[in-house]
Amino acid sequence: MADAARPIDLTGRQTAAQRRPIRWGRILIYALLILGLIQAVFPFLWMLSASFMSLAEVTFGYLLPSELRFQNYVSAWEQANFSQFMWNSIRITIITLIGQMLVCIPAAYAFARMKFFGRNVLFGIMLSTLMIPEVATFIPNYLTVIWIGRLSDNLIGLPWLNNWPALTIPFMASAFTIFLLRQFFVQLPDELWDAARIDGAGHVRYLTSVVIPLSKAPIMTSITFAFIGAWNALLWPLMVTQTDAWRPVAVGLTKFVSTDAPNELHLQMAAGVMMIIPILIMYFFTQRQFTEGIASSGLKG
Amino acid sequence: MRILRENLTAYAFLLPAIILIFLFGIFPVAFAFFVSLHRWRRFPDEYIGLANYVRALDDLTYVLFFWLALGAFAFALLQVRKLWLSRERGKGLSYLVPGLANGGAIFLFVNWLTILLPLILDIPNRIRGQERVQGLFISELFVSLRVPEATEAGNLFLLGAVAAALISFVWWRVVKGDEPGHLLSLATIAATFAIAGALTMQLTVTEIQLAVEAARESGEALPIWSQIILISLGALALAGAYLLWQRAVRQDGNRSFAIQALIALLLIGGGYLLIAEIPRALTNADPNVWQGLNVTAMFAIGTVPFQLGIGLLAAYLLFQNVKGKSFFRIVYFLPYIMPFVATAIVFNILFSHRPTSPANHLLNLFALPAQKWLLEPTGIIKLIFGAQVPDFLVGPGLALVVIMIYTTWTYIGYDAVVFLAGLGSIPGELYEAARIDGASEWGLFRHITLPLLSPTTFFLTLIAIIGTFRAFTQIWIMRNPANQTAVDTLGVNIFETVRATDPNMGYGSAMSFVLFGVILLLTLFQNRFMGSRVNYG
Repeated sequence: MADAARPIDLTGRQTAAQRRPIRWGRILIYALLILGLIQAVFPFLWMLSASFMSLAEVTFGYLLPSELRFQNYVSAWEQANFSQFMWNSIRITIITLIGQMLVCIPAAYAFARMKFFGRNVLFGIMLSTLMIPEVATFIPNYLTVIWIGRLSDNLIGLPWLNNWPALTIPFMASAFTIFLLRQFFVQLPDELWDAARIDGAGHVRYLTSVVIPLSKAPIMTSITFAFIGAWNALLWPLMVTQTDAWRPVAVGLTKFVSTDAPNELHLQMAAGVMMIIPILIMYFFTQRQFTEGIASSGLKG
Repeated sequence: MRILRENLTAYAFLLPAIILIFLFGIFPVAFAFFVSLHRWRRFPDEYIGLANYVRALDDLTYVLFFWLALGAFAFALLQVRKLWLSRERGKGLSYLVPGLANGGAIFLFVNWLTILLPLILDIPNRIRGQERVQGLFISELFVSLRVPEATEAGNLFLLGAVAAALISFVWWRVVKGDEPGHLLSLATIAATFAIAGALTMQLTVTEIQLAVEAARESGEALPIWSQIILISLGALALAGAYLLWQRAVRQDGNRSFAIQALIALLLIGGGYLLIAEIPRALTNADPNVWQGLNVTAMFAIGTVPFQLGIGLLAAYLLFQNVKGKSFFRIVYFLPYIMPFVATAIVFNILFSHRPTSPANHLLNLFALPAQKWLLEPTGIIKLIFGAQVPDFLVGPGLALVVIMIYTTWTYIGYDAVVFLAGLGSIPGELYEAARIDGASEWGLFRHITLPLLSPTTFFLTLIAIIGTFRAFTQIWIMRNPANQTAVDTLGVNIFETVRATDPNMGYGSAMSFVLFGVILLLTLFQNRFMGSRVNYG
């Protein structure tokens, strides 16, 4: 009220005085946010910087390299056998992605759009598997995979261990992806389905020519999740691979750091940067859908 | 006809997902339990009851399995109570008949599976060394199916399944009731849990008798029953204290004082019983298991509050209409999605033991002595206050603290993004109304934001705690021979047991089952204790 009673003065000083308390708050907010920014990126920036250093510079904890040693990347790539591991990771990721979409899209569609016996029970059981930790299931799953692998080796000559099936097939049905896609499919208006039915389309037709084209964003989100999951997985690949033929880059890097070059810190950093780059590219293309996917699933969960 | 077609299409759509989720998501839990009851190093061997659990937890095993059986009974009773509370009592309860039939059929199926599984799992072992012929495996599979015991159990299961289906159909069609499907599933769950409880109880009691017998022969007394009674009493006293405390909040005056005195008494008595008896029950337990659980608990306490607190602060700041909000969000999120392997090796070097490592440079700036960080298993409280700190107060090792810092760093962005979405769902009018009433910023935060954000906080706490129990990658990368005892969680111990040159699947499964039980218990606890305080607006 007091402010309104004052004569209105349009000089800059007056407005500045009015806003001052708010502005201090703003400055504090930005200061804190930038502090957060620094803590989030510092390890990445230092990693990048250290990947160009000499070994001595890394061990002395320098902030910046004295010169850009691109040679580090070449040496790391060769010494860590990265051409093999990268190619493995790419193959594993692509197979997992394709399989996951083939398995999860129809399942999510069925949960969202179809009425069938036991739907709620099945959906509940499926969601409950999200709560079961990997450490509780990896031993029996390993035994199962050994057994199925022997069976398939004997029947069709396709072993599972040290091969792509053990690394990809257990991840093709993801309860999380099914849940994410179902949440989107449910929101599609019923009129679309009615119109498609009048045109004589069945479920398969409706799914392939209406639902999937409309769901590019959530499908992209789940692809990103699956990509990151496949690229970052360590425990399971450690279990089911004994040779380098199908080992993904996460295992390769672990091996490089712990046994091949435990003391060549600069090369470790260069190898780490190379492992991060594909994820970084993927993330910057899809970050919008990605963060929104996390946020919405977080709230609904 | 149309309904049938819709059903068939739906199941065709779902089939691959159902098969895979069953095979790699649900079946493993039962399978892990099955494996844990056997001597099972690389290949299946004889049934040894609870011996694997006893190796991990000593006599506490019997107490826990006793409770597990009681828990199954209690859950079954809860379902029966729901049946009783259904609109038509008599009808509701009569559903226990088809429920028991279904439960029996499920039990017969499990029985068949437990006979068949060792035979089937042994096939790779049996055909080893033989010539690789196509179809050999399949013929062995049929041989296993035709083993007399297996066929007998299989036929029994088929008979039971048909009978159960018939009885269920009769109740569904003839007895009806308002929701036959719902009643039927309630009754089936009740019967299944009752049967499971009875079997667990039988297993526990026989195992206890065997153990007591064995101890008597070697001339010792094994006070398992008294341990069960004392530990149960202690836990009951604590639970009673909690229930009374909830009551006391509503009482006032003298009665409140009397209740408080009773609570104190129960707390002291229960706590004393537990503190005195549990270590005694654990005397011969595997120290690795205890150590692993201890590390996991410290890990959870040291990361969850920090990551949630900082995440909430970041979300709150981002919510204040800042410029470049999406940019901040993108960058904050980076640590969460980047490969743990790659970022953990950066922290390995940032916090390395060298006096010139970046972390030690930072300490130098503040004129503090350099630390050995990841090579330092000594507890931090001991490091700060010197050697006179008692053993149970030393706190997490410095190496574990580094892993905690790393884990907090990776999850802040995730928590912030989820909190941000939660903040966005709070209606703005509430703030405007409160501002008109003259509320301060802190008052707004305390009385509007925090309560209305509680579902998100609840969800994130649950995810974060389960996350710490799941943690593997960062610990696997950051552990080294010097810090192992201080950083190895139970998860890492399990992996070590299975990956060793002489693996022990049975013991590993037993430990993973214990870990799974702890996680399940925490989830239930959190639902019970935090769920009641969550405000769903």
